[in-house]
Amino acid sequence: MSKDIKFLVVDDFSTMRRIIKNLLHDLGYHNVVEADDGSSALPLLQQGDIGCLITDWNMPGMCGLDLLKTVRGDAKLAKLPVLMLTAEAKREQILEAAQAGVNGYVIKPFTAETLKEKLEKILAGAPS
Amino acid sequence: MSVSDAASLQSLYGARLAALLAALERGDDAAFLATLDEVLNMRRPELFGELRDVTVNLKVALDRFRLDARLADFAEKEMPDARQRLAHVIKMTDEAAHRTLDLVEQSGPPAERTSRAAASLTTAWKRFRMRQIETREFHELLKRMDAFLPAAHADADAIRRNLSELLLAQGYQDLTGQILRGVIALVHELESVLIELTRLSGADLAPSRAPGARATHGEGPVVPGVTQGEVAAGQQDVDALLSGLGI
Repeated sequence: MSKDIKFLVVDDFSTMRRIIKNLLHDLGYHNVVEADDGSSALPLLQQGDIGCLITDWNMPGMCGLDLLKTVRGDAKLAKLPVLMLTAEAKREQILEAAQAGVNGYVIKPFTAETLKEKLEKILAGAPS
Repeated sequence: MSVSDAASLQSLYGARLAALLAALERGDDAAFLATLDEVLNMRRPELFGELRDVTVNLKVALDRFRLDARLADFAEKEMPDARQRLAHVIKMTDEAAHRTLDLVEQSGPPAERTSRAAASLTTAWKRFRMRQIETREFHELLKRMDAFLPAAHADADAIRRNLSELLLAQGYQDLTGQILRGVIALVHELESVLIELTRLSGADLAPSRAPGARATHGEGPVVPGVTQGEVAAGQQDVDALLSGLGI
């Protein structure tokens, strides 16, 4: 997968967006845009050039799960790789995200190694 | 009953009741029924008024009961939970602060070592560049360079790793922020219940606001002792669960 891929990082906490953005830079991904909830993420996604979505779950406004469902329900975005990066750690929630079509699930607090590993895995399976 | 109440009843009903009795005695059914209707109609507005008062009182009592039950919930469950959540926030901020300080302290020595070694090499390197170095000294410089380059590389890598860890240690702000937002929502709801109770007690207050909506978009970070249900203990649990689903 090319390092030019454009990431959309969705989290309501700017510190967390900054952390993820920095980690992506460390991994060689410099094309990163941000949104603070699902509603503000959707217009960015609909522009059509996002190659990977990393989203939190618990956000005011549209939550990450609803964003994931909306993405999967949109013919143009349905195959977009989506990584859920969240503090929600209940078994039933993880299964709910899986059913909604998430490609990877990382719980907070997380390590740089975990993020790298999950990204490599979901991007390797992504349509180019 | 006071004397004035009795006098007012006498003036209101005395004549009609006498007419009612007289009609009964003379067997005048039509007059009797007409007078009886008249007496009943006089009582009707009062009866409705009393019924309305009873209904209002019942509603207030039910509202109070609902609010008292909510307050009991707060006292028994949600306040102790909130205390635990806040204690967890303190623990997380404390751990993050210590982690940050540890990483800063760990980064000092490799930075210092590299700086000192580079400074000590600089003198010999300058003499070499100015061709003022002897063969024995040159060999010595090469040996020191051989040792310095991999050591500087390893030290810089260690510092870089510490910086990455330091970055991640700031993630506590997101997690504690979510917990604090939950507690704020609880305090807001408690405030609304208290305002409503005061209003029901008859105190003159501004109309109450609707209780704050509780978070429905996920539950936030796991708080030990508060979060109910089966919870993933770490990323390994998540991976195991998802690999069973082919993810």
